[in-house]
Amino acid sequence: MAPAQPRTAESFTYPQSYSFPPFFTLQPNLQTRLSQLRKWSRLIQRYCRHRHVFKLSLVAALDTPLFKNAELRKRLSVNDALQVVDWMTRDEGGRRAEWIDGGVEAKGGTTWVYWKRPEEWAEVIVGWVEDTGQKNTVLTLYELMNGEMTVGQGIVPREKRSKSNAHGMLDFHGMDAELFHRSLAVLVKRGKAQVFGSEDQQGVKFF
Amino acid sequence: MFLQPLDLTTALRPTLLPDEALLFVQDAVGLYEGKYKIPGLQNGHAYLTTHRACYVDNLEPRKSSIAVELKSVDRYEFYAGFLKSSPKITLHPKAPKRASVQSRSHSTIPIPQRAAQSPSRSSTASPVHRGASPFSSTRSGSSTSRLSTATWVCTICSFSNPVPANFDPATANSNTPLPACVTCGVKPSFPHVLKASIANAAGRQGSHSQSQASVQPLLESHGQYSENSSIEYIEAQWREETALPAKSRFQCPRCTFLNHPSLLACELCGAPLLSTESKAANVLGESIGRPESPGPSLDIASLGVDNDTECVKFSFRVGGEKIFHERLKGAMVQRKWLLQNAPPVPDSSPGNIGSTAIGIDGQVRQPPGKARTVGIAGLERQGLELRKKNEAVIGSAFEDLDALMVSAKEVVALAESFAKKSDEGSADANQLIAESAKALDMVTTKDMLGSSAGSESLYLSEMSRNLAEYLTDDAKGILRKEGGIMSLVDLWAMFNRARGGVELISPMEFGKAARLWEKLRLPVRLRQFRNGLLVVQQADRTDDKTIAQLLSLLQELYTSSAHTEVERVHKAFGRGITAQEAAQRFGWSVGVANEELEMAEERGALCREEGIEGLRFWENWIVDDQSDGSDDDIKVDPFYEVDPVMKNLEDMGIF
Repeated sequence: MAPAQPRTAESFTYPQSYSFPPFFTLQPNLQTRLSQLRKWSRLIQRYCRHRHVFKLSLVAALDTPLFKNAELRKRLSVNDALQVVDWMTRDEGGRRAEWIDGGVEAKGGTTWVYWKRPEEWAEVIVGWVEDTGQKNTVLTLYELMNGEMTVGQGIVPREKRSKSNAHGMLDFHGMDAELFHRSLAVLVKRGKAQVFGSEDQQGVKFF
Repeated sequence: MFLQPLDLTTALRPTLLPDEALLFVQDAVGLYEGKYKIPGLQNGHAYLTTHRACYVDNLEPRKSSIAVELKSVDRYEFYAGFLKSSPKITLHPKAPKRASVQSRSHSTIPIPQRAAQSPSRSSTASPVHRGASPFSSTRSGSSTSRLSTATWVCTICSFSNPVPANFDPATANSNTPLPACVTCGVKPSFPHVLKASIANAAGRQGSHSQSQASVQPLLESHGQYSENSSIEYIEAQWREETALPAKSRFQCPRCTFLNHPSLLACELCGAPLLSTESKAANVLGESIGRPESPGPSLDIASLGVDNDTECVKFSFRVGGEKIFHERLKGAMVQRKWLLQNAPPVPDSSPGNIGSTAIGIDGQVRQPPGKARTVGIAGLERQGLELRKKNEAVIGSAFEDLDALMVSAKEVVALAESFAKKSDEGSADANQLIAESAKALDMVTTKDMLGSSAGSESLYLSEMSRNLAEYLTDDAKGILRKEGGIMSLVDLWAMFNRARGGVELISPMEFGKAARLWEKLRLPVRLRQFRNGLLVVQQADRTDDKTIAQLLSLLQELYTSSAHTEVERVHKAFGRGITAQEAAQRFGWSVGVANEELEMAEERGALCREEGIEGLRFWENWIVDDQSDGSDDDIKVDPFYEVDPVMKNLEDMGIF
């Protein structure tokens, strides 16, 4: 699963804190630390959304501009990055991340970065289904994720962008298969969809 | 005026004059003027210096602190104290010549200076003189509540009955109910009891005026006589009594047996000696209301009758009087205050008499009558003489200094050897050590304080004040040099160094003394950092002030133009500072700077950056949640599937 290409022409704008050297040192003061973690969480989520990345490998990401400010020659240390992500996985961090097998102990472990949680993705999918009038039709998972019809479905025209989705990238096209399954599972649980078929030939029907 | 106002240092100790040295300190001291307590001056420290005896009040040190100049002290007396009556030292002012009216010969306490002074002393103790003082008018009102141990002897069975406490000879008349004799039950006649009570009072005065200070509480208890009609009678009785030959003994008021002064009850008849009366006097002395304060403002003229009755007593409630007395004796003999007006060093060379001398002000004085040589030759000769004179003065001065140093060393060595020899630390050796330390002009030493129970705490509190003075001394500017803050260890080292290697203070005592600053409301405070480092600061210097100071420094760096490679960063956030930079900037030690920065970080004012080049502290931009903008739907807020409160309640099995 190769990370998708950046899909907009605009380059990613780093927050102001990104050029503040102490930002790359985890603060001992609890209150400052909380603010810092929130800022990091925000940065990581925005970064992943911008790149349309759903999983992050910390070891690999440490040398990307996400954790490393070349201009300042500052980098978040492995431990600090682990702590940031670990905080994101916890309730206090809004569960915006989840460790994939191993957790913190597996150093450099990969993690989901939920810039949208599965429940939120479920809402997006339902919205799209309703908008396109595809209720009660059977769709394959493959065509939902990779088919032409979902390309650009999430791109909201600039004039219609509301406060909540100002970036205009809400599509699930090219979404990670596992995450997509999870999102559908949420819908199944709610009774809004039914998934059937074998491993690679799965279909879904929305009610 | 005998009582002088007193200047205090920042640490609330007397400001010493040049050449003045502190000799002794004692706490829990009260002050009497004449025989009356001075209200507001009853709980304080007594400081004895070479020039003065000072009283510094504990509660209102700035308002009610006074000094008595030793040079205006004519003589002093020692009263060893008796039962509830505290030991006292009386200072009598020098008075204009006055013929001594009464001459009595009762000398008891062996004070060397006393013998010569005794004739003129008598009048000061007399209640009649005191009766003219402004206090007496208020006394008769409360007199009925006085206790008395006067006794009347039953005419039937000759048993000594106590005169009832509420029996007041001034107001009693024949209708006053009188109790019957305790043993035989026969009522006494009124004149009999009256006579007995008056005789008792007068007799007591007479017998006790031998140790003059002890009369004081008695006089208070018998003050009611001063205005009533029986004054003449008492006076007569009293003179009669005092004319009796009395040795250094304590006469029993009942059977007139001469007891040893330390006995509490009469050896012969068992009558209590002074006990109830002195108790009553002490209690009443507190409660007697006086319309006006007879404090220092009460000047000599207002007394009218006797200018020299205004003697001052230091009452030592927890001891220390003996040492005070000893030191006072020494100071009175040395008369250090004379040095202040001492003439300049006399010429050593005999031929130089009348030649050019340099005054204290540095001006060259030309003696009159000397033939002047004019012109260059004259100037040259004048210069030559001047140099010669200066040389002589300097030479002799250094000779003296050397001699002093040599003898000082000897004295110290001697004292130390004495201290080693006397394992139990005999009084003599202690005394000698104290002397030597005194000679070296130490300030607060243990020996300056008495050996009473509270001397340890007094020592610490004095040391505490001493330290505070040392720190806030503007001339030395120790705290200022250290940027207003220094570690306690540094201070300890510096302070001990300043003591010149003698009378060093142990770290434990030093620590204890430092911890007393807050309690004594001194202008310095001890602060403990998170890691346990103890620092000394000025009391008005708070954390907020330090933070403001740090932030202003960062602000300064922020605004100052940055021309480095990371200029962009500087524009946005200024610059971080290291502990070293802060230390350099504010004159702190690095450890202190580190702690201060961490304190500011803990308060949330700063944040840290750990880098290769060390720890830097920045203004805290991280806490500002708005700076990164929140214009998108990224969520960072806590997420709870279950209300954590409910979850906890469930876990606890409540819900």
